[in-house]
Amino acid sequence: MALRSVNLPGVGTKYEFETDKGDIVAIFFTKTGTIQMYTLQQGCHTPSAAEMSPMEARRLGNILTGAIIEAEAESVEIAFSALADLRITIHTYLIPKEITGKTIEDLQIRTKTGVTVIAVSRKDKNIINPPPSFVFETNDAVVVIGETDQLKRFEREVMVD
Amino acid sequence: MEGIVLALFVCLILALVTKYLSIPPIPFYIIGGVLLGKSGFALVTSDEISRFFAQMGLIFLLFFMGLGLKLERIAANRSAVLTSGIIDLNVNMLIGFVAAYMFGFSIIESLVIASAFYISSTAMTITSLVENRKLMMREAETVIWLMVFEDLVLILFLAIISAGDQNPLLFLLKIAGVLAILYAVAHYGKEFLINLLDRSDELPILFTFGAVLTTASFSMYLGVPETMMVIALGAALATTDPDAFEQHARPFKDVFLVVFFVFFGITINLASGVNMVMILFISLLAVMSKFISGILTGIFIHESALAGIEIWGNTIGRGEFSIAIAALYGSPLVATTIAGMVIVTSIIGAFTAKYCTGMRKWMAAPWRRKPSYHSHSR
Repeated sequence: MALRSVNLPGVGTKYEFETDKGDIVAIFFTKTGTIQMYTLQQGCHTPSAAEMSPMEARRLGNILTGAIIEAEAESVEIAFSALADLRITIHTYLIPKEITGKTIEDLQIRTKTGVTVIAVSRKDKNIINPPPSFVFETNDAVVVIGETDQLKRFEREVMVD
Repeated sequence: MEGIVLALFVCLILALVTKYLSIPPIPFYIIGGVLLGKSGFALVTSDEISRFFAQMGLIFLLFFMGLGLKLERIAANRSAVLTSGIIDLNVNMLIGFVAAYMFGFSIIESLVIASAFYISSTAMTITSLVENRKLMMREAETVIWLMVFEDLVLILFLAIISAGDQNPLLFLLKIAGVLAILYAVAHYGKEFLINLLDRSDELPILFTFGAVLTTASFSMYLGVPETMMVIALGAALATTDPDAFEQHARPFKDVFLVVFFVFFGITINLASGVNMVMILFISLLAVMSKFISGILTGIFIHESALAGIEIWGNTIGRGEFSIAIAALYGSPLVATTIAGMVIVTSIIGAFTAKYCTGMRKWMAAPWRRKPSYHSHSR
């Protein structure tokens, strides 16, 4: 797998590599800021292309490097190998109708499940470290931190309340 | 002043519409200008201010082109640049020149028309390659280097035609002198320039604007072509931090260049004995001659005439550089001819860029060949 990078005047930078099976992947970072990815299957003559914003390209990059595990709601697992292989997962969820109007205290999130709500995103506004009196609304996106097991308990016991 | 405001407002609407339809805006700025100007509703006339803005547009266009010229990179790709570039130059210059001369233009006028006829629009070509998602094609790389070669020819052309009746030796000395100053500044001031461009206040943008303006007016004072010198300034500054300069020069280029195009249209006078049939003929010839050079390039570079269709489809549109040549050196009749050619070729070019891949497939389709059952079995 040899990676080739070329600077194309006026266009941007091109990265291209051929996989062991003979397929070709080419990525262009254009001067307009968009990123185009082409894939050409071995034996084919016309490549297929996708155009991405920088944000979308980073998400794709995260998926390819394995940082994002689930697609539906995002989750990132961080492993601190120096701290006895401490693994922490950060997961996002959308608040369903069932728990709308309840506070973090009402739901007893930490005592019941062990996870902590570290941020809530509501209509483009972010609330970092919401207090226990924080009232959830439908379609709030919450960012929750904990271990994998604790997050599973959170999904089972809180999200369907 | 009201004229510029009205013209800019019209351009804003045209830009919105053309971006929405993803077609090149340049021909529509010119058409908009023609409608606003003395050949249309006579709403706007050019004045001192608009002429200054338009000149800024031209100068920033050329400065931007200079920033993209990275000489060491061109040298590294010599073979790719040369073969296709020389085919493109010879075929199109020759056809353009003969056609213009046959229509009764003088030798100098024919040379100006031939240059505008030859040089494709880099802006349209690159945009269409990106928007039609053709960057991965092998032909795309050929086309991109072709644009670089055309830029180099334009510089040479600017030098030759603006030398005029000056003493050639003195002229060359002056040019060499300015070039030496520009490269010395870029070389010895590199650290300083990079630090300056890194600042977040108004200094980087002020410096960029000032450097371009100073170079232009200093060249005019010395009697060397300012167009060539701002390209050289761009090329010299490209050795420091070209991306930062592009970022700071882009707003000036984008606004002033639109003023340049629309006022070019405004000053066009259609009443002065313009032969529409001749313009249409030259425009269609411009489409055909790129077909010939495209096919030849396809055969020589990609060993396939069909690859030439792809090259042809993406290089038909003439645009900013043709208009620049017309504005600098064209008589009213020459300028109108070139404007017509830009409008026709860029609109046809927008379609061919989109559909040439399909045309190529259609031409290569098996049912169009004689049936051969033994070859190509996979």
